[in-house]
This record gives sequence, C-alpha cells and structure tokens, in this order.
Amino acid sequence: MNERRGSLYLLTGLVLGLAIGLVYSLLIQPVQYTDLSPALLSPADKDQYRALIAVAYLANRDLVRARARLALLKDEDTYGTLAAQAQRWLAEGKSAEEARALGLLAADLAQAQATLLAPTVATAAPFTQPPVSTVLPSPSPATTLPPAATLSSSSATLTAPQLTSTRQMSFVLRKRETVCDPALGKGLIIVYVWDAQGNELPGVEIVVNWEGGENRFFTGLKPELGLGYADFAMQEGVVYSVRLASGSEPVFNLTAPTCTAANGETFLGVWILEFLQE
Amino acid sequence: MLGRWIRFFIAIAFGTAAGVGYGWLVAPPPSDEHQASNLRIDYQSDVVLMIAEAYAADQNLAAAIARLSFLKTSQPTEIIQQAVNFGERYGYSDGDLQKMRALLAAVETLTPLIGTRVP
Repeated sequence: MNERRGSLYLLTGLVLGLAIGLVYSLLIQPVQYTDLSPALLSPADKDQYRALIAVAYLANRDLVRARARLALLKDEDTYGTLAAQAQRWLAEGKSAEEARALGLLAADLAQAQATLLAPTVATAAPFTQPPVSTVLPSPSPATTLPPAATLSSSSATLTAPQLTSTRQMSFVLRKRETVCDPALGKGLIIVYVWDAQGNELPGVEIVVNWEGGENRFFTGLKPELGLGYADFAMQEGVVYSVRLASGSEPVFNLTAPTCTAANGETFLGVWILEFLQE
Repeated sequence: MLGRWIRFFIAIAFGTAAGVGYGWLVAPPPSDEHQASNLRIDYQSDVVLMIAEAYAADQNLAAAIARLSFLKTSQPTEIIQQAVNFGERYGYSDGDLQKMRALLAAVETLTPLIGTRVP
C-alpha cells in the first residue's frame, strides 16, 4: 500500500509539471516566428506578396527583378500559380488591377521562358494556326537566390512607369466563328488577341455583357493555351456581347451553339473570336 | 520525508520540461499564422520598395497605404523609414531610394489625418 502511494505522488508531480509546461509554452510564451523568408508565409500572405510583385512589375516592367522576387516564394509552378491566383482574384471580386497584373506577369514569364528555350514558339502565333494546342515548357526549378536587398539594389535600369501596354489600343475583329469540337471546351467564348506584328497579346481586358450582367476577363491567364488566349463560360440560352476594353467593335448576339456529336449526343459548342491590333 | 518532497519537485520539473518541449517543438503554431509582419528586415524593405514602385507609377496613395497594411504596422511612416534606412545602408539604387522617399513623403502628409477621430 505504501509502495503504491509512493509512485502515485511521483505521477502527480509529473502531471502537474506537464500541465504547467503546456500552459507556459502554448499560452503564456508561445513560439513566435521572426525573420521569416517569404516562402514561409501563410498562403494568404503569400498571395498578397505575389500580388505586390505583380503590381510592382506592372509599374517597372523589370522581369528579372520580378522573377527573382517570385523565386523567394518557392512556388513549384510559378506562372501556373500566378495565373490561377489571377483567376481566383477575379472570381472573388478582388482588385481587377491586381488580377490583371498577375495575369500579365504570368504571361510575360511564360513568354520569356518560351523565348529562352524555343525562340520560334514565342515569335510564332501565325493567324492561320490558332494556339489552342500550344503547350509552353514548364519553368525550371527556382535556383538559390541572394537576399532581397541584393536583388533590389542590383537593378538600376527601371523603365518609365507604364500602367498598361494595351491602353489606347484599338483592335478589329478578324474572325468570328462557331466550332463544334468538344476538345476545345463546351459553351465557351474563346478570344484570341494579337498585336499588329502578329504576336499574341497578354493582359488585354475583355468585357462581356448580357442582359442584366457584365463580367471582365483577361488574355494570358492560361499561358499554356497561348499568351493571347482568354475564355469565358456561357450559360445556355443567354445572349452575350463581347468587346475589348481598350477599344474594339462589340461583337453582338453570341449564344452557345448547339452541336451534335457523331453518336447523336448534343453538346454546347464554342465561339471563337480573333482580334487584331490596328 | 524530505526525500519524497525532493522527488516530487523533480517529477514536476520533468513534467514541465516535457510540456514546454511539446509546446515549443512538437506543436508550434501552424504556418497559417506566419504573417508578413514577421518577415526579415530585407524582405520587409523589398515589400516597401514594391509598394513604392507601384505608387511611383499610379500615384494612388490610398492603394499604397492599403498595401502597406500587409506588413501589419500601425505606423506606415516608420516601416517606410526603416526600409529607406536599410536601402541606404545596403546600397539600393538611387532610383529605388527615390521612389521610397517619395512614398514616405506622401504618407507623411497624411499622418496627421491618420488616427483623427470622427466625432
């Protein structure tokens, strides 16, 4: 009996100490992280950090600096993450300017990567060959980078501030057609935008209207489908009109076309609109 | 009897050590709580530079101040001044420093208004 009481007081002390330790380490003096690197931020703060990189890029167009900053976040797929965030921010109704900056940065990164690895891919984009099937190469893994301070001080060649490359541009509609090909998607308005030299143009804002509604989307948010590519999902039976925000003739009376597959099954086709800068 | 008390306090000490070890090493706060305010000073300075670059282009002070809240500081001027000091010490380019100083000057003009209570 005495032996059992002896071990019981030790157990009591242990449990009491454990409680004191847990209260102290979790409530009174919890772990506080300091001197974090951007890669360790919470997902929400990483998104915000990425958006800041994009708006800074929109201002200075310094792709080297933007890429170095993005590498600090250690995203596995840098421009995929940027493009996905741009779409998510548009969908969540956050700053359209930041969403466009994110999309533009994703597109420019993809374009730079394509130029580096396969120059013909970046300079191609002939009008007779829609870039739907173009698959851009994956980014190379981020390399070890010097601290942000070194990066910031290394770039002395800032270009003049420029909010957008597409402002004050005007475009003409080059092609308008419906396509019944499930591989392209179902019930989509697909827009391609090229500049006057025939290069795909990312970051172009597109306005789509329907009775009682309006939405905006941008080219370049799906760089794997082409830098000048953008799409919008239509509702069956709704009539849409589409124009480019920076100046184009509106395209009216767009409704999701009904197509019939070889097996007799019906599905919604896509509209393909091609705009060319004047 | 004295030996029992000593062993009792040793048991408490062991328990406390185990509890602290668990709280600090095994179950630290999740990464969801890692905030930009805890970034290292060079990264914080780069964040300020990004905001200054955007402000230099769009001159949108409201947006700049909103973006500075990312660093969760109650005094935006302090964090910008800290970034300017850091940039001067570690050789930021003149253009970058100029942008940060311009942002600092613009935010300082608003400082008297920040914190003014509306009756």
